[in-house]
Parts: sequence; C-alpha cells; structure tokens
Amino acid sequence: MTTAELSKVLFAPTTFLLYVGAMLAYFWTMAQRIDRAPAVEGQGAAGSVHVPGRRGLWLATGLASLGLAAHLGHLVTRSMASGGRVPWGNMFEYSSVMGFGVVLAGLVIFQWRMRRPEVVGFLLLGAILTMGGALLVWSEPGPLMPILNSEWLKIHVFAIMLAATIFTVGFVFNGLYLLRETAERRVAESNQARAVGSTVGAAYSPAGTLDEDADRDSSADAVPERTTLPDAVEGVDLRGGVSDPTEELDEGAYGRALKAAIDPRRLFAGTWLATAGLSWVFWAAEGWHRESWSGLGEFVTLVNWEGFARFFTVNTVLGVAAVIAWVLLARLPAATTLDSLAYRTIAFGFPIWTFAVISGAIWAEQSWGRYWGWDPKETSAFLTWLAYAAYLHARATRGLRGRGAAKLGILAFAVLMFTYFVVNLVVTGLHSYAGL
Amino acid sequence: MRWPERPTGGVRPAGAPYPSRPPPPAPAPRTSLPVSQVDSAPPPEANPEVRPSGGPRIPGPGEAVVLFWRWLRRMKSALYLLGLLGVLTVIATLVPQQPNVPTTVRAWRAGTEGPGVVVSGLLDAVGAYDMYGAPIFLATLALLFTSLTACLIPRYRAWWRLLRRSRPPASGSPDHQPYVQTFGTTAPRDEVLAAARTHLRGRRWRLRDPGPDAPDQVAAERGHVLREGGSLLFHTSFYLLLIGVVVGQLVSFSGQVGIVEGQSWADTAVGYWSYSPGRLWGDDDHRAFTLTVDEFEVDWYRDPEFGGTPKVFLAHVTVTRADGSSYQDTVGGNDPLVIDGMKVHLLDWGYAPRVVVFEGGQVVHDAHVTLGATEQGLWRGAVKAPSADPDVGLNAYLYPYAPERENGPVPTGAPWADDPLLAFEQYRGDLRLDRVQNVNTLDLTGLQLENDAYVRPGEVIDLGNGVVVAFPELRRWVGLQISNRPTVPLLLLAAGLILLGLVPSLYAHRRRVWVHVRDVGDHTRVTVAGRTFQRPQAFEPEFARVVAALRDRLPPAPDPEVPATPDLTEVLRR
Repeated sequence: MTTAELSKVLFAPTTFLLYVGAMLAYFWTMAQRIDRAPAVEGQGAAGSVHVPGRRGLWLATGLASLGLAAHLGHLVTRSMASGGRVPWGNMFEYSSVMGFGVVLAGLVIFQWRMRRPEVVGFLLLGAILTMGGALLVWSEPGPLMPILNSEWLKIHVFAIMLAATIFTVGFVFNGLYLLRETAERRVAESNQARAVGSTVGAAYSPAGTLDEDADRDSSADAVPERTTLPDAVEGVDLRGGVSDPTEELDEGAYGRALKAAIDPRRLFAGTWLATAGLSWVFWAAEGWHRESWSGLGEFVTLVNWEGFARFFTVNTVLGVAAVIAWVLLARLPAATTLDSLAYRTIAFGFPIWTFAVISGAIWAEQSWGRYWGWDPKETSAFLTWLAYAAYLHARATRGLRGRGAAKLGILAFAVLMFTYFVVNLVVTGLHSYAGL
Repeated sequence: MRWPERPTGGVRPAGAPYPSRPPPPAPAPRTSLPVSQVDSAPPPEANPEVRPSGGPRIPGPGEAVVLFWRWLRRMKSALYLLGLLGVLTVIATLVPQQPNVPTTVRAWRAGTEGPGVVVSGLLDAVGAYDMYGAPIFLATLALLFTSLTACLIPRYRAWWRLLRRSRPPASGSPDHQPYVQTFGTTAPRDEVLAAARTHLRGRRWRLRDPGPDAPDQVAAERGHVLREGGSLLFHTSFYLLLIGVVVGQLVSFSGQVGIVEGQSWADTAVGYWSYSPGRLWGDDDHRAFTLTVDEFEVDWYRDPEFGGTPKVFLAHVTVTRADGSSYQDTVGGNDPLVIDGMKVHLLDWGYAPRVVVFEGGQVVHDAHVTLGATEQGLWRGAVKAPSADPDVGLNAYLYPYAPERENGPVPTGAPWADDPLLAFEQYRGDLRLDRVQNVNTLDLTGLQLENDAYVRPGEVIDLGNGVVVAFPELRRWVGLQISNRPTVPLLLLAAGLILLGLVPSLYAHRRRVWVHVRDVGDHTRVTVAGRTFQRPQAFEPEFARVVAALRDRLPPAPDPEVPATPDLTEVLRR
C-alpha cells in the first residue's frame, strides 16, 4: 500500500466511521441523561454517585479521540504523499483540516476545559458534514503550483481555515440557540398566559424592568440575564433556597414542554428549505459554464442527477441534524448559555479572520502585484468579514440582540459557505487554480 | 435592580453551567385606552392644530439634514448600510467585472453569455459591471463613513472624559451586586481598606479617591478605557485605510509589458503594453532602468499522474540602472524584484516564435510574435505586416507538443515545447492599424480568409498569394507588471492598527469591585462585591482571586464559622 492509498483509507472510511460512531455515542449519552432522571441516584455502597450515561461518554470520547488520531495520521501521510508540503493546498484538504479542527476544539475546549460534552455531538456532526463536503471535491495528493509555494500559504490559508473552523462552531451554537430559544420562549409564553389567567404576576413585572436595564447597557457581550435560575447541578442547589417555590418546575415536565413547543416536521422542512437556499450550488455547479441559459432546451441539460443527489443529501442531513437537536432539546444548554457560547466563539474567530484577510492582501501584493483587486474570492472574504462584523454589532444593538443577532450569525455562516463553495465551484477568479 | 433575587450563594462555581430554567413570565401587555377615549382628553377646540391636517408633515431642508444626521448616528443605520454594501458586493461577485474579465462582460452585454440582453441592460443601468466604481457603491461607502464619523465624534468626547475624569462610583448596597463574598477579619477597618487599596492598585485597578461620601468602602474599576479605546482605534483605522487607498489611487502607477527572451526593455512612459498611472504620476517619475530577460525557466511535472502541474516559473534578468550600474537577478512567482522602488512582478508568460514573412521576395515582417495561452493547451496570437500590399494578417496558433503520426500531427495539449507546431490563417486586406487594437488579435472586419497551413521550427512554407513564411526559432516571453505603490506601508500600518484595536475592543471588559467594611462585634466584616459589564466567564476567576488575595493579607476572624452571608437580623437593623 502506498502512502497515498494509506492516507485515503485513513480518511474514508476510518476517520469517518470513528467520527460517526463517536457522534452517535454522544447523542446516545445525552438521550440517556434525559430518559433517566438526572437527579442523584445513590448506588448504595460506598456512596458512589451514579451519573447516567457516564460509560457512554467514555465510549464517545474514546471513539472521537481514535478518530482524531486516524485523522492526524491521514493528514501526515497525505503531506508525505504530496512531497512534504503542508496539507492544505486545495479544497479537499482545507475541508479535511477544518473538520479536524472542529473535532479537536470540541474535545479540548468544550468537553475538557468547559465541561460541556452535550455540545460535542453537534460539533462532530458539523465536522462530518464538512468532511463529507471534502469527499465531494476529492483530489489525489499532489504537488502545488509554484505560485502557491510561499510562506504565506502556511500563514494565510491556515488563518482562514482556523477562522472558518471557529465560525463553524459558532454556527452550530447559533443554530442550537435559535431552536432552544424558540422553545423556551414558547413555553414561557404559555406559562404566562396561564399566569395572566390566574391574575398572578401582572402587577409586578420583573421581566419588564429587566429588559429596560438590559437595553441601557449597550455593551456587546453583556452579562447573561440571570432571570433564569441555575438548575440543580449534580445535586447541589445553587439557588440557595431563596426562590419562590411556585417557580419550581419538574425537570422532565419542562423538557417535555420544550419539545412540545416545536413541531419537528416544520423544523425539518424549514431547515431543509433554508439549506437549499445555498446548496443548490452543488446541483448547479456541474455544467454551469457548459450550458447557456438562453434556450429552454439547453437548460434541461442542467439537470444532473449526481449534483441533485448532493443537493438533496446536504439538505436532508442538515434537516435530520435539526431533528436530532430537537430530540435532545431538553439536554441542550440553556438559550442564554448557547447565545453566550456563540458570541464568544465568533468573537474569537473574528480577529483571526481579519488577520487572514490582511495576510491575504499582503500575499496578493507580493504574488499578484496588487493588494486588493476585487477578485471574487477577495470580495467574498470581505463580505464574510462584513457579515460577522454585522453580527458583532448586532449583539450590541438594542432590539437586535438575541434572536436578531443569532439570525445574522446564521446568515454570516451562509456567506462563509458562499465564499467557500459558490466562489470555488461556480465563479472563476484568480483563486480558482487553488480550487479543486 | 438588575437581579430579582439576591445572589446569596456567592460566585457561581467554575465549570458549572449557566441557568437553564425558563425566564419568569413576561409582563402582561398593558391595556390602556387610546387617548381619545379617555374622559380627561382635552376638547378639540382647546388644542387647535398647529399645522394643517391631511398628509404627513414634510420637514424643512434644515430639519431634514438634522433628521438625516440623527438617522446616520444610529448603529442600526450603520448596519443597514453595511448590509447594502454586502448586497452590492454579492452582485459584484456574481456579475463579471469589467476591470477583471472584460471579455466576459462584452459577451454578457452582447447576450451571447449570461442572462440575456434585457437583464444585462438593467445590470448596466446600476453599474453592476463595474461595481466598485459605480456611483451607488461609492455613495454607500461615503454614507457608511459619514455614519461612522457621526457615531465616533460623541464617542471620542465621552472617551476623553472617561480618560480624564472617570472615577468608579461608590456602591450604595454592595450586598446587592451580582458577585458578593464576605469574610471576617480581626484587622481594623482602616487596615482592611488600606490593604484593599494596595492590592487593587498593584493590579492596576483605577481607584475611587477616599472621601467622606463613602468612607467605609474602596471602589475600583478596570477595563473601561481599554475596551472603548480599542474600539475607537479599530474604527478610526478605517479612515487611515481609506486615505491610503485614495491617495494610493492618485500617486500609484502600474503597467504591464511582455519581454521576449534575449530582448531588452526600458522603463519609459511609452514602453508599456498597458499603462495605468494615477493622476499625480508623471512621465518623469519612471526610473529609466533597462531590463533584459536572459532566460525564462519553466518546467512541469511530466509524469502521467500530475501531468501538466507546473513546477517552476523563473525569469533570469539583467537590470541596468539609469546610472549605468548593472546586475543580474531573478523574478519568480512569489518573488518580485524591486528596482529603485519599482516592483517587478512575473504575472504571465507565453511562447514567442520568430516569424519571418516574405511577400513578393521582400521581408515584410521579422519579429518574435508573443502568443498568449488559451484554455485548450494552445497558444495564439497575430502577425501583422502592413508593409505588404495589400496588408498581410496572420492568425498564429502554436501547439507546443504535437508529434507527427500517420494521419498527420496530433496536438497533445501538453504545455512543454517538445515538438512545436505553428499554424497560420492568412488574411489579406486592410488591417485597420490606424485604429486602437489589441496586439495579439486581428481586427477581422473586411478581411478575407485566404488559406491556412502549418509549419515546424526551421521550416519555410509558401502560403500562396506570394506570401512565404519562415519559423526559424521558438523562444518564450514573460509578462511583467511594473508598479509603484507608495502608500502600501500606510495601508499595512492601518491594517495593523485595525487588529491592534480589535483585540481589546472584544476582549477588554469593564468591571468593578467594591470592598466594603463593617464592624461586627469584635471583628470586621469585609464584603467584596463585583459587577462586570462583559465577559462574566473571565471576571469570575479574577473576582475569586481578588477575594482570595484579600483573605490572605488579613488575619482571619477567630471564629471560623462566620456565616457566608449577613444574617437576617443584621439586614433588618440597617
């Protein structure tokens, strides 16, 4: 077996299967924690505390780590097979490295440092989607064009990939936030309707005064409102017993209420259609240049079943991902937490993206003799920067904070995907030699 | 009040999740009657209408300016403008741009490609074919910068005040702050306050002067100057960037030229193939050096696996400066050459066969013809010989590797010139050289295709009509860009400042700490309270460290069972 073949086998199926297995194990663990009561369950002897899904979590972590090791092996062998260059010289390789980064961040930052294993399954899903996209543009390992043979390839492309990886993580959080927030809001609304019916709480409205207070503080990542009380964590009640007992809600009942607030069929259809807004590119990319749009007869030849299959698969997988998130809705972190995670992730990625665009301009000045030429890739990288800048500003704008900002964050990720796929596959420009 | 419940539990343990409970019910929508239905509303005649009713009021010109300025000052307006800029940029990504791909634009305008003539006309009307020079784009950019200015002026003033005169406020009720920790110590109050001051000042907190208004506490603040300052630096740097770009447009110069191997070229205003100077660039700004291309080195991977992937592009040149000094150097893909401030980039290359044309026994053309690469592994160009009568025009096509087989030559599409074949199409008639035209294509208007033929290196062929063509040798030419952009360092500085301002504007966070003391029996009760405006996750460990450091500095109260929170009787007594 040559190094190139070994590299391919390590990527698909090895890494793929390990990631899929790890993802399923994470989801299974989360489901375990919902189904069994999360309350402390004495194990009898020696006072050991049984946390549901602990073995599942070990399994998931193990599989994900093995997957990471296999992925690393793939990257190293691919680099060797390409003649010792850095393994990010074409679209397949970018996607692969980005998937690697997402999983690494999930394990190291979110599971180990922040102790949030419940989001890692979704990050794995994001990584698998990215890598599935990589397989669509598979290319054999090979040498680079001389124009790419520069130190800036390492710096610029690595920064772009790093920022795109971080933005992918931010997208996952924003998507989960929108879902969870919608559910929480609907549950709160129905509770409120009940409360108004029983003439309770209308006179004194803590939420109203809090909103006012929040608006006054126009800083970007304002402290999340602690109107929501900390829940019981591993048997320790953080509320210190001050809270009104009528606000006590049964954990399971609340979870069921959250799930009941969202119609999974509508969620699936909505996600499917929203994804279709961008993924039509896979369908259209083939034959885009070959055929003319001027006559209907020629237009018909645009229907290519392979492209349609990709289009359909991507939409359906994202739709299924949304439904999985719905199933695990009760185990997701609270909406405020997800919002905060999304903001922190994107605020971390934004300076890196800025640096990547600047380093791209420096490289362009050195290589193409101009720092900025409105090449399609440059333009859309700038556009992505604008979109994320808009997200960060929206977080600091009253009336847009929360849902509005999260929607902008989703839109910004769509722009990133546009930059990545549409510009590489459909629009020709100076970056296109690096494309496939 | 920010917090409905008193967070008596102190700091949230690190790693513990945030709250995941539903928020308390929102207030019921307030139902109030419209004013007209309220009995106390004044009768109409008591409050006559100031302006005639009917239709919306149109503001006067001065007022309109004020309203517009106010609109611009809102962050939402800036977001809308950013969004509009984004939409225009999307259009520019999807629609071919005149400066980048003029041929595609021509095809779109003619309707042979793209969405058709009607849509094309609409695109032209909004300037979509040259979006970055279009009035709508420039107007949006100008509005965005105006909006930025409108936002920044008050922020500068406020920041200056912050820098000069800010002092953290005293807290009326430290126990009600979001982060509260209390402990007891035997040290007297003044010693506690002094210790708190020393510690916080050492950590570069800005302290409130001790005064009679709040004698029992130390108030400290951090992060506010840096965060806002970073944000201001970030936004201000865009002006620097704008200045760099605009001034750069005026004083920069760039031109392209193709030089055949073995030939020389001098840097003068008339020597360029294409020439785009800024308004303030003068002809005598050229450095008048001479560039000789000694050899152009190009090679490819020739194995079947990566066939055609280029391996090396390198031009070996000899530079002769205006003062006569001369040296040898190379120009490569990522490796521009700088001569007296002029940057030389290698951007293009092609084959340059020497073509000699005889007409009626006379040499009417003898030069290297620069052929440009096309997509099909084919290089093409044109030979123009106006000294013949009538003019001879030849379309020249070069297949670099077209070995001879039984059925004639077979072009392989490989780019290396192992077995080159040069084909001609002969045209006769007026070449219309009095008009502006591309060096590498014939203006076929009114020309008659006579015949075609091909030739190998060293061969001579009779094209008929008395025209004989010889192909003595094949060389290569390099396409160089010579440019001078004096504002690039300024742009680099602006970009660096943008990054320098961005990081603190996202990561610096404004937070306050109060150390409050109270005599309780024989010891002093110390309350450390904190509040952060951003990044609670970064503040929590910092707050914990402040509390721990103060605890360590002060002798603990003898009774270790000091309650963590003030008991109820004490609260009631206050």
